[in-house]
Amino acid sequence: MRRIWKIYRLLAAQNLKRLMEYRADFLTGAVSFLIDQAVGIAFIFIIFTQIPQLAGFTFEQVLFIYGFSQIPKGLDHLLSDNLWCVGYFIVRKGDFDKYLIRPINPLFHVIAETFQIDAMGELIVGIGLLIYASPNAGLHISVWTVLLSIIAVPFAALIYTSLKIMTAALAFWIKSSGFIIQMVYGMNEFAKYPTTIYSLPVRILVTYIIPFAFTGYYLSLYLLTGSDPWFSIGGVILVSCVLFAISLFVWKKGISAYESAGA
Amino acid sequence: MNKMMRRYVPFMKAGIQTLITYRLNFLGFVIGGLIYCFVMFYLWRSVFESNGGGMFLGFSMTDMVIFLFLSNTTGQLIFSSVGEQIGEEIRDGSITMRLLKPVNTDLSYLFAELGEVLMKVIVLLIPMVLGLEIYRFCVTGTLVFNPVNFLWYLLSAALAYLISFRVNLCFGFIAFYVKNLWGIGILKNSVIGFLSGSLIPLAFMPEGLRVCLEYLPFASMNYTPVMLYMGKYAAWEILFRIGLQIVWALLLFGLSKLIWFGAIKKLCIQGG
Repeated sequence: MRRIWKIYRLLAAQNLKRLMEYRADFLTGAVSFLIDQAVGIAFIFIIFTQIPQLAGFTFEQVLFIYGFSQIPKGLDHLLSDNLWCVGYFIVRKGDFDKYLIRPINPLFHVIAETFQIDAMGELIVGIGLLIYASPNAGLHISVWTVLLSIIAVPFAALIYTSLKIMTAALAFWIKSSGFIIQMVYGMNEFAKYPTTIYSLPVRILVTYIIPFAFTGYYLSLYLLTGSDPWFSIGGVILVSCVLFAISLFVWKKGISAYESAGA
Repeated sequence: MNKMMRRYVPFMKAGIQTLITYRLNFLGFVIGGLIYCFVMFYLWRSVFESNGGGMFLGFSMTDMVIFLFLSNTTGQLIFSSVGEQIGEEIRDGSITMRLLKPVNTDLSYLFAELGEVLMKVIVLLIPMVLGLEIYRFCVTGTLVFNPVNFLWYLLSAALAYLISFRVNLCFGFIAFYVKNLWGIGILKNSVIGFLSGSLIPLAFMPEGLRVCLEYLPFASMNYTPVMLYMGKYAAWEILFRIGLQIVWALLLFGLSKLIWFGAIKKLCIQGG
């Protein structure tokens, strides 16, 4: 464990050095994701100039749900962005060999290699919205609700990471799986708004099949109502662990199916 | 004319080939776009319900559906990555091969992309318009499709593409200075998405902002063709909007040429 932590620190330090080298790039990345978020929020503002409530939620509550959903997303983006590259080109170009000949776990190596600071855009907006919306959202603040919600955040991020591992691993069989990651990851759009606005098939899809609803709405709902922690907090922990186990299994199978490509 | 076509048609064919080769990635983006449309569809449905049904700032729910899906499709049609491509070619030096060829550099990029656009019209636009009209027929019970509006849409979308091509060309020169092309891409998409009214109809924005955005070139890139399809403009306004698009297309043509000639003189390729 200590060795893993040490390697991670070394790799992260390399990343930070790279960032200092290309400071303009870091800024464009973070600003880009910030503006991307601003557009989403402007949308909510404009809607609420016309209506007092959306599916029974007030302006602050909708912002709270939106903000909460961005934190696990940002956390995953910060830590495991390299999985996109595995899906898009690392396997296709045969560059995956390098991960296999080193004495550390390939999955850990892939993830530790990139520390994607662009994610600050999502994290800053998410935390900012929570701070802005909390006083008027009618939250049930208690030691339990806050503590459980904080514990749940890394598990929610694990849902993102697991889905990315699973879809990126498909590249081991089909060479390039970027488009599949794109499709599955794209479903996180559904997490930004109250799940109750969707029709039943979509709700089932985002709750049980590609469970992004657990990364934002259900967790926020627990803070907003204070009820049903077994479903929201228990759900996110159970779902993320099951998904993670499946994704590790797929990844392992994938690596044994991997044939290096000539380049 | 004939000679010109002989010279540039191969670029167009290459563009079609590219899209066919990378069809799965293309499919990924199309499906990603559709997911976004569906999220927005449910969001708007909920907004209309919270608003007591009927109209929302001059849009009915059917209008909204047409707007959402058609602006997304238009966004795919006018998508241009010429800026990124130039940046990439400058970095790896392959742009010299392009400059050596006895063709107009702009036109060689343009025709390659036109090949892609042509494919997108066939595989995306036509099915989408059919689908939307079937949807509208099912909801309203009457056939509302207006071929004249559709022709206006095609003309306006063609102009929109030319504007988008030039805007991207100008944008691409940022790639001379910045390496984070992925970040720039996200930035470009969200800024253009917002300013062009394809995410939120300009009609919903505060008066002052709306008027400003309507005159900027971004509205010409997506909003104008979609509004024309929906028949939201009166006769004189149609001509005015199309005229504005032509003006922007010409202005941006001039601007991109200016930047290009400035940049090409300084072009210095290291290694290769």
